[in-house]
Amino acid sequence: MTLLVQTILLGLLIGGVYALFASGLTLVFGVMGIVNVAHPAFLVLAGLFTYELWSRLGIDPLLLTLITTPVMFALGWLVYKGLVARVRSSSASMSVVLTFGLAIALEGAMGMTWKNVFRSVTPVYFNQSFHVGALVLPKAQVFGCAASAVVLLLLYLLLKRTWIGRAIRSASENPEGAHLVGIDIGTVSAFTFAIGIATAGVGGSIMSILYPIFPASQYVWISRTLGIIVLGGMGSLPGAVLGALILGVAETLTATYISTQWSVVVFYLVILVVLLVKPEGLMGARMRRDVVA
Amino acid sequence: MTAESGPVAARRPLLTLRNVLFALAFAALVAFPLLWPGDQYRQTVLILIFVLGVMATGWNVIAGFTGYVSLGQSAFLGLGAYTVGLLAHRVHVSPFLLAPLGGVVAAAMAVLLGATIMRNRGHAYVIITIAFLFLMQAIGLNAPGFTGGSNGVTLPLPPWPLAVGNMPFYYSLLALMVLSTLMTWWIRRTKFGMGLVAIREDEDKAASIGVRASVYKVLATVASGVLIGVAGGIYAYFLTFIDPRGMFDILVSVQIVLATLLGGLGTIWGPVLGAFLVVPMNEITNGVVAAQGVHLFVFGLVLMAVVMFLPQGLIPTVRGWLDKRREGHGAVAFERRQSAPRAVELTVAPGAEATRRWARGREAGAPLLKVDGLVKRFGGITAVDGCSFSVQQGSLTGLIGPNGSGKTTVFNLISGMMRADRGEISFDGERIDKLQPWDRAYLGLGRTFQSTRLFPRLTVMENVVAPLKRFDWRLLPADAVSGREARRALELLDFVGLADFGPQPAWQLSFGQKKLVELAQLLMLEPRLILLDEPAGGINPGLIERIADTIRALNKQGLTFVIVEHNMPMVLELCDAMLVMAGGRVIAEGTPDAIQSNPLVLDAYLGEDWSTETEMEGARS
Repeated sequence: MTLLVQTILLGLLIGGVYALFASGLTLVFGVMGIVNVAHPAFLVLAGLFTYELWSRLGIDPLLLTLITTPVMFALGWLVYKGLVARVRSSSASMSVVLTFGLAIALEGAMGMTWKNVFRSVTPVYFNQSFHVGALVLPKAQVFGCAASAVVLLLLYLLLKRTWIGRAIRSASENPEGAHLVGIDIGTVSAFTFAIGIATAGVGGSIMSILYPIFPASQYVWISRTLGIIVLGGMGSLPGAVLGALILGVAETLTATYISTQWSVVVFYLVILVVLLVKPEGLMGARMRRDVVA
Repeated sequence: MTAESGPVAARRPLLTLRNVLFALAFAALVAFPLLWPGDQYRQTVLILIFVLGVMATGWNVIAGFTGYVSLGQSAFLGLGAYTVGLLAHRVHVSPFLLAPLGGVVAAAMAVLLGATIMRNRGHAYVIITIAFLFLMQAIGLNAPGFTGGSNGVTLPLPPWPLAVGNMPFYYSLLALMVLSTLMTWWIRRTKFGMGLVAIREDEDKAASIGVRASVYKVLATVASGVLIGVAGGIYAYFLTFIDPRGMFDILVSVQIVLATLLGGLGTIWGPVLGAFLVVPMNEITNGVVAAQGVHLFVFGLVLMAVVMFLPQGLIPTVRGWLDKRREGHGAVAFERRQSAPRAVELTVAPGAEATRRWARGREAGAPLLKVDGLVKRFGGITAVDGCSFSVQQGSLTGLIGPNGSGKTTVFNLISGMMRADRGEISFDGERIDKLQPWDRAYLGLGRTFQSTRLFPRLTVMENVVAPLKRFDWRLLPADAVSGREARRALELLDFVGLADFGPQPAWQLSFGQKKLVELAQLLMLEPRLILLDEPAGGINPGLIERIADTIRALNKQGLTFVIVEHNMPMVLELCDAMLVMAGGRVIAEGTPDAIQSNPLVLDAYLGEDWSTETEMEGARS
């Protein structure tokens, strides 16, 4: 019984972190209909960047997010203006091909810079745990989940309570209408994309403590983050959180009771089954896709 | 501008410069290992090119023709390789007898994968294919008892003498590449291929004219995977060792994508040309600059550059340049073909099948179309709210109402583009609300679209012959444009005054011309009822009278129409029965005269205190 509770709790903590990893992906899809397959590559990049800063400066990786986040935001802005904006008019599938090209180029660039070796950021608490009764909660996992929750809350407030948030939401629901009332779609899109990549700044810092990272580890994160947003409903931020929690628990349950090897298979199966049975996911908006467009 | 070698292109003579060059290139490939049998390195590079060529031509069927981008295409290679790899130690026969089994397994998995796109579009398919590939890899890695796990599988040495070397692999893979290219060429000429292109251009529209998209998409997935499976079987023997990471590698999928995009998506030879460019590029970045990551970096950059700067690919781009040169300064070659409208008498001679149905409809004496209590909600908005009406056989029924009253949504529900949340739709006494759009088309229900939806990159002629009156497996391999259909299509084009526009790509037409072609296209279905969505909207006033005449002429021959239209004078004059919608339901019906003086109708349109016909006309948007 303790094992079950322990497994589920750990699953929720992992899911909380996954929610942050997937949030930028779902945000960008929701607003501009682009599946940014390169998002996990940006997570890994931010992780390696955190590693670099941490090993030189010795500052806590979670504090380093104050540096990595603005850097990733700027990078996101540049990538949008330089690459993504140029292919906005072509199909959604072609944007996947483009971002996949970006993911591979990033992987190559990271391999050239950091070599293909596993790296981990190991602050003092990385192998310590909180003990609550019989339960053991790894400190890094708890801090990571807390940081993730803070960022997600900020993101939520940004979308719901600010002018730019309203502009982002209106641009996602009705681009023509938003344009007509004076919203500059190009700037809003660039901002959204940059915000999406900025979440990878915090995400990457957390990832660097919790997981060994190297350039090719992006692939497992591609599967995980895609599985999460597909299950939650593509484009829905609350959906991503829900999907992440469910899959975090599903993954730890599989790892505990079946085997770690098969745990990532959960994500592949979820993608296939959800898209086959309920393509809009758990919380996906049933958007009015008018046939007359 | 059309990137396709369309089926109605005039037959070219056999001995062209292009064909001679192809023959020479092919002869050189055949001769190469015989002339330099010792050059193992170049033979290997060519073998890799052939394998990539087979994969890219296959991918072209699903992505280039059908418009569904897959990033899991290399899974078929792995499936073929593993099928043969696992059998090779148990069954001792020639590799070339085992390899086709790889194709069978790949095809079976393709059916499963194809089934997933029945309900999904675009980006969802990309994600599914990525998950599919990773799932295959994970099974390969995690089931060592069955697949050998991460240690992979070693194959027995081929049963021929060592001196023969790789020649059997070389020639069989070359043959497969040629076969695969011929297959795509053949597919593009058939009704099946044209259906795929129609799906790529506009899937909803294709379904509305009888293209049974689900079957087409599954078949396209199978066609794209089967030869890759065979190639995988041979390739496994060539490698003598296979493992899950190498065989189910997403980077191989990306190479397939790059090769096809580089050569020309949707062209016949583009994927092969791409393979001849991508493999040497790999060899150079892998071999010459061996530093970590350089290969991936260059590869990613090239892929991005192609998507951004060469989206059409090499073959269409070069062809575009050549065409421009030939035409001088890109003059609009079609300008002179425009002809004055002709008053052609056309009999909408229905086929035997339609005649039978018409007769049945008349005997029953029931309304041809009956809509009962339809409800359709979009989130919080109820667009259609308890809509009921019926349409009499042979009538010209006008469906009017203010903007947002739900007219187009009702059309979408009747034609099957959307499913109603509640309510029933009967056509000729038969419930159709659960049927797929193509099944409704087979019953004789046709519709046009407010903004006209022709397949832009198909020619006018191809657009008109695209509709299918029924689904028949035997029809799929038939020629896309056959003699009898072409004649009928010309008749119909002549009827709408556009007979000379057959070879012109549809995107070049004016809005009004598109409306007329769309009508001709629908008549090809031999429909009994046509739903016209704003036939006079947005076209030049001179054409309105012609469209009205056309509708009237067709109606005289027994064709029933339901017309959504904001041009009040036109619709009131043309129609013999009127339905008025407001707030998602029918609020009034009757003759045009009765409707004009119905206070409810005037309220719905104009608020209170309006009464004259001229002001009603002013209400159109």
